[in-house]
Amino acid sequence: MDVRNELTARLDACQKCNVCTAQCPVAKVNPHFPGPKGLGPDMERFRRGQFIPGETTLDDCSNCKTCEVTCPSGVKITEMILEARRAARKGPHKTMLSLKLRLRGYVLGRAEYLGKLGVLWPGMANQALKLNLVRWALDKGLAVSQKGPLPAYGRPLEVIEDKGGRAGGAFRKQVIYFPGCYTRYNEGDTGRIMIKVLEHIGYKTIVPNFHCCGLPLEANGQFDKARKNGLYNLELMRPYLEAGVPVITSCTSCGLTLKEDYPKLPAPGAQMIGAQTYDLFEFLWQLHEKRELPLDFQEVKACFGYHLPCHLKAQGIGTPALRILRLIPGVKIRNLDAGCCGLSGSYGFKAEKYDKAMKIGNPLFEAVNVGVERGDFQEMLTECGVCKVQIQHGTSIPTKHPLRILAKAYKIILE
Amino acid sequence: MWDAIVVGGGLAGWTAGIRAAQRGKKVLIVTEGVGTLYYFSGIFDYGDLESLRHLPKHPYSLFDAEAIDRGKHFIQELCPEYIETNKSQHALTVLGTARQGDLMPRSMVLPNHQEQGSFVLLVPEGLKDFFPEIVVSNLVREFPGWQVNVKRVHAENFGEWQRMGKSASGIDYAAIWRSKEGQNLLAQEIEAIKREHQGAGSRSGKIAVVLPSLVSEYFDASRTKTYVQDYSLPVIEMSSFLPSPHGRYFAEYLKHQFTDLGGELMIGARAAALNGKPMSAKQPKSCQEIIVQSMGKVLHLKAKKFILATGGLLGGGIKVGIERKLIQEDVFDLPLYVPQEWSTSQFFASQPFAQIGVETDKCLRPLDTNQGRVIWDNVHVVGRMLAHWDPWTQRCGGGVSVTSGCAAAEII
Repeated sequence: MDVRNELTARLDACQKCNVCTAQCPVAKVNPHFPGPKGLGPDMERFRRGQFIPGETTLDDCSNCKTCEVTCPSGVKITEMILEARRAARKGPHKTMLSLKLRLRGYVLGRAEYLGKLGVLWPGMANQALKLNLVRWALDKGLAVSQKGPLPAYGRPLEVIEDKGGRAGGAFRKQVIYFPGCYTRYNEGDTGRIMIKVLEHIGYKTIVPNFHCCGLPLEANGQFDKARKNGLYNLELMRPYLEAGVPVITSCTSCGLTLKEDYPKLPAPGAQMIGAQTYDLFEFLWQLHEKRELPLDFQEVKACFGYHLPCHLKAQGIGTPALRILRLIPGVKIRNLDAGCCGLSGSYGFKAEKYDKAMKIGNPLFEAVNVGVERGDFQEMLTECGVCKVQIQHGTSIPTKHPLRILAKAYKIILE
Repeated sequence: MWDAIVVGGGLAGWTAGIRAAQRGKKVLIVTEGVGTLYYFSGIFDYGDLESLRHLPKHPYSLFDAEAIDRGKHFIQELCPEYIETNKSQHALTVLGTARQGDLMPRSMVLPNHQEQGSFVLLVPEGLKDFFPEIVVSNLVREFPGWQVNVKRVHAENFGEWQRMGKSASGIDYAAIWRSKEGQNLLAQEIEAIKREHQGAGSRSGKIAVVLPSLVSEYFDASRTKTYVQDYSLPVIEMSSFLPSPHGRYFAEYLKHQFTDLGGELMIGARAAALNGKPMSAKQPKSCQEIIVQSMGKVLHLKAKKFILATGGLLGGGIKVGIERKLIQEDVFDLPLYVPQEWSTSQFFASQPFAQIGVETDKCLRPLDTNQGRVIWDNVHVVGRMLAHWDPWTQRCGGGVSVTSGCAAAEII
């Protein structure tokens, strides 16, 4: 039996060393935030005594999971905090979020519906979001920061149904793609390129009509809806999971949710989803190890800085994108590893959190700017859509998904 | 397939990883969280090398003098602020007592006890776990010929913290002192101290400013704007309470050195076991892959060599069950040297449990404790996991970790 897992399940694994608080990006900029140790393991003692604290302090946690990857004892700190938020929603206390903030949680949690609305007429939605008046109204009405870098909408990624009959039938080499709301509604191009890359390496891609993975819902306190989405998505995946078809993600937060949260759902696919979900580059690396990844790369002479999104770091798989891109002749990449970008999904869009989110991102912005000034690189790469938006917002340096470099090397796209 | 996979991200692990990457090897470091470097004082202890090297089975007995020197040079090349002199060097502990150290940053070295002068202790307002009264009384006792004065310094960045009655950690203060505005603030304060002393016609010319949480080393010019501020008086850095600013910045610095050399870090992943098969009946086994628990999935990671740097009892590399019914090395399940009696009655005496660890041959390969045979041909053990030493009473923790880490990297 694994002694360690048994131990980490318990609160007592926390040795009170405080390293998590020292590394917490929020505690650095917000004195009102008790830090992960305080809010997680310390207060857990009180919560066990049915002392349920208010939701407002818990809400300051950005869910970046830095504390969890930092902890030398494997304590699931963010998980404790999320559990506490869940309990606080139900708890009979008087420090509930105001109606406005609850309404905002309802809206920001629904990246999917916003996306569906946004892509009806992307040009108009984007223009509207650029209007000062609209942003002012969002700020006043919903406490959505006027300055936050809300991403633009584009041509949505199309659903690709499985026309080949039963899963795992005629096509041995097929994958399920879980694009996530950002790729689907804001950056459909990335999804389309990804499908072409997978086709180039011999895989057929199926894109079922998934709902949002649930992470933005959880981060905005919509736990029941998140769970419903999870169950719905898992049911869509089940036949493929049973046939051993891998599920690929290009968004790091969707990937983390599929690997971390879905296995806990009471559904038939839950036992398989963790082991069968792959970040795109994790999947490609595994093919490369089996010598199945085509290496027909053309030279791409360029230097890039790389930002490792917190939710990819939390997957505990290292930096597979760097491993793959370094196979391409001419590519030079530096992993800046300068901390959280601060945006954390929708955290930095919130009016009272915008400035703090920008402060959190400062070391990263500085590392990007210093790198560009020194001539180390001209562009940034990162897998996470909102990290990308935030880096561009904080530095004005062009930032893209590393997939685009791979697609260029495979001659699938020109730029 | 990596040239080497290092398990554990403490001092020995980072040393092995960086040195191997410098030698052009493809290296992966797998670590569950940040390692014990976050508790590092900023000072490397090597201990009494000559006598320790002659202790039977002590890790130093595995190395020649050259290997030990190579480790020291490795640190000094990585961080040129680290100096070593023929005379013994002393630095200030968190409580203001002087402690000896073998390799320390220039800015931590204390002046000679025999000299005379005055110290001005700068006390950052609301610095957590800092006790200026105790520091002053210890300084007065340690340096009889010196005057000790105190000056408070207010950093507006923590104004909101202070108004709430909340303290700011040493790591957060270090971030201020490393920024342009923080350095300007310090420069002003120090200039004011200088003028005051000149005005008062101080009897001795020598003044030194003492400051906790100043981390003036480990600047990474490729990621941060660096400002080199020349202060008008010499500044002496103290060690800090945990998690320590020196440890945090040193660990970050090592991480960036490692990844810039092309090394890869896999944090948040726990190595759980290994897979390997015997080369032949009589010969040691060869490890093919380690099994790592990532989020939701088990990874099989292949490499030519494996370096075990998971720490000892305190670092989490060795697990002890309730009532000591079980003691095991957590990843490779290597045999451990365990003394008959674990402890002696005197708390500060050398405790036998400190000697618990893995016995190795000169190539740091794990040995079977009964027959003394090499178990794994391509597994090398470094740092605290090694048996037969006591970092506390022998004061050689940094020395053994750096020396063994470097030596293992040379074999890769």
